[in-house]
Parts: sequence; C-alpha cells; structure tokens
Amino acid sequence: MIKAVLVINTQGKPRLTKFYGFLTVEKQQELIRSVFGVLCSRAEKVSNFMEVDSIFGPDSRLVYKHYATLYFIFVFDSSENELAMLDLIQVFVETLDKCFRNVCELDIVFNYNKLHSILDEIISGGQVLETSSTEIMRAVEEISKSESASNSISIVPKTVSGWRSR
Amino acid sequence: MLYIFMLGYDVDFGHMEAVSLISAPKYPEKQVGYIVTSSLLNENHDFLRLAINTVRNDIIGRNETFQCLALTMVGNIGGREFAESLAPDVQKLLISSSCRPLVRKKAALCLLRLFRKNPDVVNVDGWSDRMAQLLDERDLGVLTSSMSLLVALVSNNHEAYWSCLPKCVKTLERLARNQDIPQEYTYYGIPSPWLQVKTMRALQYFPTVEDPNTRRSLFEVLQRILMGTDVVKNVNKNNASHAVLFEALALVMHLDAENEMMSQCVALLGKFIAVREPNIRYLGLENMTRMLMVTDVHDIIKRHQAQIITSLKDPDISIRRRALDLLYGMCDVSNAKDIVEELLQYLSTADFAMREELSLKAAILAEKFAPDLSWYVDVILQLIDKAGDFVSDDIWFRVVQFVTNNEDLQPYAAAKAREYLDKPAIHETMVKVSAYLLGEYSHLLARRPGCSPKEIFSAIHEKLPTVSTTTIPILLSTYAKILMHTQPPDPELQKHVWAIFSKYESCIDVEIQQRAIEYFALSSKGAALMDILAEMPKFPERQSALIKKAEVAEVDTAEQSAIKLRAQQHMTNALVVTDQHSLNGTPQSVGQLSLVKIPSISGDEHTSADQELSQANGTLATVDPQPPSADLLGDLLGPLAIEGLPGAAVLSEPNAVSGLEGVPIPADDAAAIVPVEKDTNSVQPIGNINERFYALCLKDSGVLYEDPNIQIGIKAEWRTQHGRLVLFLGNKNTFPLLSVQALILPPVHLKIELSLVPETIPPRAQVQCPLEVMNLHPSRDVAVLDFSYKCGTSMANVKLRLPAVLNKFLQPITVSAEEFFPKWRSLSGPPLKLQEVVRGVRSLSLIDMANIFTSFQLTVCQGLDPNPNNLIASTTFYSETIRPMLCLIRIETDPTDRTQLRITVASGDPTLTFELMEFIKEQLVGFPTAPRPPAPPAAPVAQPTNPAALTDPGDLLAGLL
Repeated sequence: MIKAVLVINTQGKPRLTKFYGFLTVEKQQELIRSVFGVLCSRAEKVSNFMEVDSIFGPDSRLVYKHYATLYFIFVFDSSENELAMLDLIQVFVETLDKCFRNVCELDIVFNYNKLHSILDEIISGGQVLETSSTEIMRAVEEISKSESASNSISIVPKTVSGWRSR
Repeated sequence: MLYIFMLGYDVDFGHMEAVSLISAPKYPEKQVGYIVTSSLLNENHDFLRLAINTVRNDIIGRNETFQCLALTMVGNIGGREFAESLAPDVQKLLISSSCRPLVRKKAALCLLRLFRKNPDVVNVDGWSDRMAQLLDERDLGVLTSSMSLLVALVSNNHEAYWSCLPKCVKTLERLARNQDIPQEYTYYGIPSPWLQVKTMRALQYFPTVEDPNTRRSLFEVLQRILMGTDVVKNVNKNNASHAVLFEALALVMHLDAENEMMSQCVALLGKFIAVREPNIRYLGLENMTRMLMVTDVHDIIKRHQAQIITSLKDPDISIRRRALDLLYGMCDVSNAKDIVEELLQYLSTADFAMREELSLKAAILAEKFAPDLSWYVDVILQLIDKAGDFVSDDIWFRVVQFVTNNEDLQPYAAAKAREYLDKPAIHETMVKVSAYLLGEYSHLLARRPGCSPKEIFSAIHEKLPTVSTTTIPILLSTYAKILMHTQPPDPELQKHVWAIFSKYESCIDVEIQQRAIEYFALSSKGAALMDILAEMPKFPERQSALIKKAEVAEVDTAEQSAIKLRAQQHMTNALVVTDQHSLNGTPQSVGQLSLVKIPSISGDEHTSADQELSQANGTLATVDPQPPSADLLGDLLGPLAIEGLPGAAVLSEPNAVSGLEGVPIPADDAAAIVPVEKDTNSVQPIGNINERFYALCLKDSGVLYEDPNIQIGIKAEWRTQHGRLVLFLGNKNTFPLLSVQALILPPVHLKIELSLVPETIPPRAQVQCPLEVMNLHPSRDVAVLDFSYKCGTSMANVKLRLPAVLNKFLQPITVSAEEFFPKWRSLSGPPLKLQEVVRGVRSLSLIDMANIFTSFQLTVCQGLDPNPNNLIASTTFYSETIRPMLCLIRIETDPTDRTQLRITVASGDPTLTFELMEFIKEQLVGFPTAPRPPAPPAAPVAQPTNPAALTDPGDLLAGLL
C-alpha cells in the first residue's frame, strides 16, 4: 500500500502532501524535511529508488522523480512494485500536464483543490484506483462540470462574507 | 486551511465547519467539506461520528458525483465505525450493474479500506464467488481496483479464494498475450502494466498453482514476459515493461519453477546489472539477492561476480548498498578471499556512510569463511588499518579471542602487530590490538630482529602520547607483561617502566591509576610476577558477536529471515574450526567471580551488576574492556589472598574462637550453632544473628548471617502475598566450601520453594539461590533456614530465621475519616476487634512509635483521633486464602505513664486480628534491644566475636596491599 504522496519543490517547500495513515503534523513535517535532506544530496542520473527504512520505519520504499523544480515522491511498502510506482508518478504528472497544459509549480500552488481531486482519482486509501490518464481526466472534468453547474458561489467569497457576518 | 496545514502548522480550528460542509447541498461546498475532512481529521476523531449519517445518505443517494466524494472520503479515513455502518451499502454499490465503473471502482477500494479496519465486514463464504464474478469485469479500472481488493483478501485468507486463481491467470493471459484491452489503458504500448503487476502479486499469495492446465498457461505467459522484454530507449516504456518483468521474476521465484526457467531468470538479471539504466541495475541487484535465498543458484550468480563488484563503484549509493548486500549474500568459502579483498580495497574509497557497514560485513565474512586463520588476522588488521574509525570494538575483541585460542597463530599475529606498529600514523584501535597482542605474545618473537623486549617497548611507548584514556590501561598491562617476559630482568627497562607506572599513579582516571599502582607493586615483587601475570587463559568459545549484531541489524522481512537461516548455517560451520578449544574456557568465569566477591555484603547491587556483566559476557563473544581487567585483578588478588588469609586470619582465628568457646551455647536443638566437632574448629558467627534478623524484618536487603567462612546475604522483593528472596551465599575463603546444604523448614502458613543450592561454592565466589514465598494465612511463625557446609574437616550447621514475617505481607494504605469510622464501627467486638491493655512497654514518644509503625508498613493516619495522645494506623494484609484485608489499629497512650498503653486492633478476619495484635505487642514490648524470642525457633543470643579484627576480607586485603 502507498503510505504517502509528497510533492516538494527544490527549496524543500512542500507543495502537496498526502499521507494515507494518520500522522501528527510535527511528524509529517519531520518526515518531509528528512526526505528532502536525502533527496537534494543525490546526483542527477542515478536510480530513482531510495532506502528510507530509517525515516519511515521498516519495510518502506521510496521512489521519486524530479521534474523541473519539483520532486514527486511516493512512499510505499513491499506490497507494491517499485517500477510500477514510478510509472504511476509518470501518470500523475501526465494527467496534471493535460489538466493545466504544461503544468508548473504555480499551477499546483493555485489549484490546490483540483490537485487533490486528481490525486483522489488516482489513489484512494493508499491503493491504486485508476491508471489511465484519459479516464482520470474524464472524472476530473466531470467534477469541475458539476462544480460550475451548481453555478455558484465560489468558495473564497463565501468564506470572506462568512467572516464579515461574524 | 489545507495549505496552512501542509506547511506544517497545527490547524486545530474549523474542523466543525468542515464537517458540517459535508451535508451542504451544493457540490463545491460538499467537495471542500470532504477534502478538508479527509485531510485534517484522523479516523478516530469525534467529529467524524457526526458525519456518518450524511455520508451514508450520499452513498445510497442517486447523485453519482456525491457518491464518489463520499466513497473517496471513506476510502481515505474510514474507521471502524464507518466499517460497521457502511459496509453493506458499499458492497451493494460494488456489485450493482446499474452503477457506472467510476463509482464501482471507488466502491472496491472503499471496501478494501473498510475491510482493513474491520475484517469481519466481508463475509468470506458469500464473497469469494462475487469476487470471482468481479474478476470477469471488462472495465479495466474496476478490474484494477478489484484486484487490489483481492490481494488484500487473499493475503488474509487464501483458502477461501481458490476459485479466483484461474481467473487471475486468465486476466494475465488476456493482458499479456492477447493484448485485449482498450486503447487508453495501454501505457507506452504496454497493456496496463499495473494490472499485470497486481495480478501477479495476487498470484504470489497463493502457495502453489495446482491445476496443471492453469499452471501450464501461467508459465506460458510468464515465459512470454521474460523473453519479450528488452531494454529500449524510452525511459517510461522501459520502466513499465520492467515493472512487469520484475514482478514476473518474483512470481517465478515464488512458484519455484523448473530449473530451466530459473536459470533463464538469473541470466536476465545478469544482463540487467550491466545495463546503463540505474533503476534496472538497482532492481537487478536486489532481485539477485532475493533469488539467492530462494534457490540454489549460487554458481550461476558467481559468474557475475566481477560485474557486481563494479557496481560497488557506482555513483549511486542506493546501488552500492544493494551490491554490497548481494556480495555479502553470495559469499562462500570458495570466493570469500576475493570478495573480502575486494571489499577491503573498496573500503579506502567508500563513502563514510557506508564504511561502518562495510567493515562489519567484511569482518563477518572473513570470520565465517576464513580458509586459514592467519588470513583472517591479516584481513582484520588491514581493516583496522584502513578504517579504524569504523571498526567497532567487537571486531578487535574477536581477533584477540581467536589469537588467544589458537596457539599456532600467536607468533604470526604478534609479528604482524609489530609490523603495523612501525607505520608512522596508526589508528588507536590498531594501537590497542597491537599492544595487547605484543604484551601477551611478544616473547614468542624474541629472537627476531627488532623484537627484543626493549625495542617492542619503545615501539609501543611511542604511541602512548597519542592515545586516549581508554587505551592507556591496555598499554600499562602490556608494559607489565613485557617486563614479566623479560628474563633475565633488564634493569634499565624496569626503571623505565616503573617511571611510567609511578607517573600514572596519580592519574585522574581510576582505571589507569589502579592499574599503575598495582602493576608497580607487583613488578617490584620480582619472580612472583611470573605467576601473577601469566598468560591469558583461553576464551570459552562463544557465538560471534558480529554475526549476532548483523542478525539483529537485519530487518525481519520474509526474505531476510532466509538470510539469517543461511548465516546461522554458516556460523555453525565457522564455529567448528575452533570448537576443540571450548573446553579450556571454564576457569575464566571463576576468575571473574572472585573479583565480584570483594565488595562483600553491602554491595548487593554491585554484585548483581557484575553478574550481569559476566552473563552478558557469556552470551556475547566480545572481550568487553571490563573482563580482561577483572581477570587481571582476579589473577592479582588470587595469590595475595592465599598469602593473606590462611596465614594471618584463618590460622589465628581458631585460637580466638577457642578462647571464646566458653560462650554459653544454649543446649536446645534450635541452637544457632551446632558444632559437629566440639573442638577448636567450630565456627562462630560474626555479628549478632538476632540483630541481623530484626534489621532484616524492617528492610529488604542485608546480611542474614556471617562467619569466617561464609556470608549469607539476602535480598527480598515483596508483592502482596508473594515474595521473592534471593540468598547470596558468598565463600570468603580461597578454598571451596563443600557439601553445602540448605533446607527450609517452613511454618504451615507459608509456602516456600527454594531453588537448587549447589553442593560446592567455589573459592571466593558468590552463589545466588532464589526463594519463592507465598503467604497462605496470617501467622507470626517464622520460617527457618537450616544451613550446613563443610569447611576443611569441620562441619558447620546453622539454623537461621528467615525474615519472611507478618509485616512483609502488609501494604500501607491511607484511610480517610469517612472510610475509617464506618469500618471501625462495623467491626464491633471480639473476635474481629480485640482490645488489650499492655503494660511494661518501653517508653516511646508518639513520634518514635509512629516511626516504628511506618517501618512495619502500617500507615499512621494523622488527625483521625481527636485525642493527640492516640495513634491510628491502617494497613492491608495480603494472603492466599483470604482476600486483601483492611486492618485498623488504634493505640491509646497515657502521657503520664509511657510504659502502659491500650491497643485495639480490628480487621475482617479473626485470626488476622489476633495475630496482628500479638505482633504489635511483640514489637512494642520487645523492640528492638532485647528481643523476646518468638515462640518456635528460639535462637540463642550469640556473642559477636571480636568484629574489629576480622570483619571483611576486603579490609584485610587492603591492609596487605
């Protein structure tokens, strides 16, 4: 099962974190920091695997991929295939690419909930849900359609007005 | 909020709002609600309970997007409660034909999560058929999810899902052979690699494939995968195809296919570890390591040894580690020499993160597969030379052990050590080893050039300024040994060494100081030095600590337990080499014990700590820095004690005793001392037995009995009605005590079990005898230990009361006024409440009396009694037959006449009340100066024999030293 999905930029700032087991905030931050510490010391052109038993506890593996300014990191246990996970990162990124047309870090920062819904279409509860990026796109589009169909009130103003009324 | 959370700030607000958004009717609000909830809250959060109903409504509702949201959320954070209330609905969704695939695949994973949280939700009997149906699914999304679900179910209980196995194989065929899938599911030209991988994973959870047809078609597919994969340019395609390939390899290994297929696999792996693509190289190495454990493919793998060794130089540390693991795994007698030498060479260039592991592994391999021992010594010395910082102490201890146990090796090792000493800069560990080896065995080299004692001494002494305080003691020992081996004595060398000793006599480090002083004193003894500083005895053969360490370090996954198994097999082989020496190892333990004895009684913790140490030493193979020194001291003290004790103390003592013969020894047979031979040989106790007994009634450890030959210490732990006593029988003499016997004469109310007491106690050793006590019912009777031993020709016998007395089974308890008075009133009159006026009590102030009570585990309750001259105490009594019983005590004193008081005792048990009353009377009347002997074992009042003269052999020794 997949334990965590992390997207960290090259400065070590987390851009997307999703843990499929409950961890306290402090623990999560600690893990992110230590993972980044190891990652940034690795050279280009080396394998995409790391042994992270010391960080995530026994029986854990980590694969990562480096795209432009972002590291995409999947942490999982021995019941998953490493290369398949690497492919999954590729699918994730391809989907993002289709979604945002040439995805970049800013897209991820500003479309936070969209990113979450895409991830939820790919992985659910630590298991692979869908691997075809076309299918994923279809699901995501559907979501955004129903979002706009309820024609509304985007969330931000609502919250703001909520504040005012208090 | 999520963003704040992700950046690492604690978000403890807004949870309620998020949860309530879930029930909002509009999609965006609902979506935000679900996403925030599933990220922020954990499965046991209270708020989630509020949401269950809404979630359920969404799941059974008609709106599919809402269903999806709800399923995703439950799939991510659903807990037990969710499992209980939602599982049936989710199952229904999964198998319903009216739902779209989008919903059903989510339902599958949601069910998986619920199943993980609560395995009972999936009814095994009915579900396996449905599972089989699900595997016929055409939509690959649903199929992938279902396969994940199947993997979880099968890993839990494969029996029930046999019917799914052929389906899995069929799916695999469909994907790999027929390539019969929709376009969007091919990933870089490969039909859904994930599904293939998952399917093969699922197959690995079944122990075997029995049906021949299924088996045949499965192997056909596997063969196709194995053969049809090639390394291509496109990275992504490569990854995908190899993901499938490696999974196929794993499956082949699992099914343990015919040898042909296996060798095919190895050939493939051999190809992989040479490719440019680092990922594949990594996995190739890893899988080879795994393969080593599964089958006997050693020889084929060995062909790739050169390639693997090149991988050690890979720029990627992950790959280097894998290569190291593989080398470690594939090493055996035939290739050990090459591999270890390769590792040694690599050591000087390896990065720091790996060096420790590397040196440990090299040492283990060298030890396990050494073709001859001199090679082993070479390897370890090189290892220390190259990576001294990373060589743990265990490694050099082990070398020393080997050398000590193998006489042939000694000159060689000493010569080697000498060579290394000539190097300009050597590591401190090397100084330690060389010094030790040269100290012990340099005399074997005496005739070689450059190896005269003086030269060796100066070579070692050169290093002294550079080493730390842990090494100096070793050097000092070496000097002493060199001095001893120099025959005829060389006055100049002697002077030099003495100067060093006297310099360190005031060293701040105790260990160094002690050694310096002792060696100085000893070396001035001349010829006697020879006996004292004799060669180290052989070490008892033990399991290598290194191998142990490696075993512990290994993670306990299935594959690695296989490594362990192999390692253990090898280890037994390795041990055979030196097995014949194991018999010689016994004297050492005695040597250690003799040291343990010195601190005598008061050092109970001391002894146990030392004992632990020697135990640890028994299991570990290392020569801890402690034991050698202990041994040395043992060696040192042995002869001295022989000189001292028999000459001065023991011989003079019979006279002293005979002078005291006239001390009245009561004639009744409960006498503490029953002299067997009524001549001067009878032994007299040191100290007052009664006083010791009464002291022990109040505390839990101390000396029960002591005479010139033996000392019996006691240490007790009491818990409710159970007690555990340990008797420490310490032989104070330098000759063994024979026919030691200890019998317990328990009173009826105590159940006492004494473990076996050894018949002989070795000289200056201490033996522990645990003793289990259980209290059956209240009584003041005391257990008696009948102890006898033979010392020389005389037989000694003592009867000692054991301090397992009533108050040991009491536990203090504080009672408030609200509890006390109703209880006090409810226990009205005899036999539950007894009152007595006692006269002739020692006059005690109230505070003293309170202190006595506290020491007997009675809690004095302040302020319960309005009269300040009265005292109220409470306690709980534990025994096997009656439940824990609250006891209440009231003492009324007369301020004008302190010798008179009225005692009232109340408890729920008549015997207890009576016994407690009598007990308190005894304590108050007799305590503590003139103990009125309790009824059964009337112990005599023995006069203490002049304690100043021979209290402690330790003192005696100190005086002599």
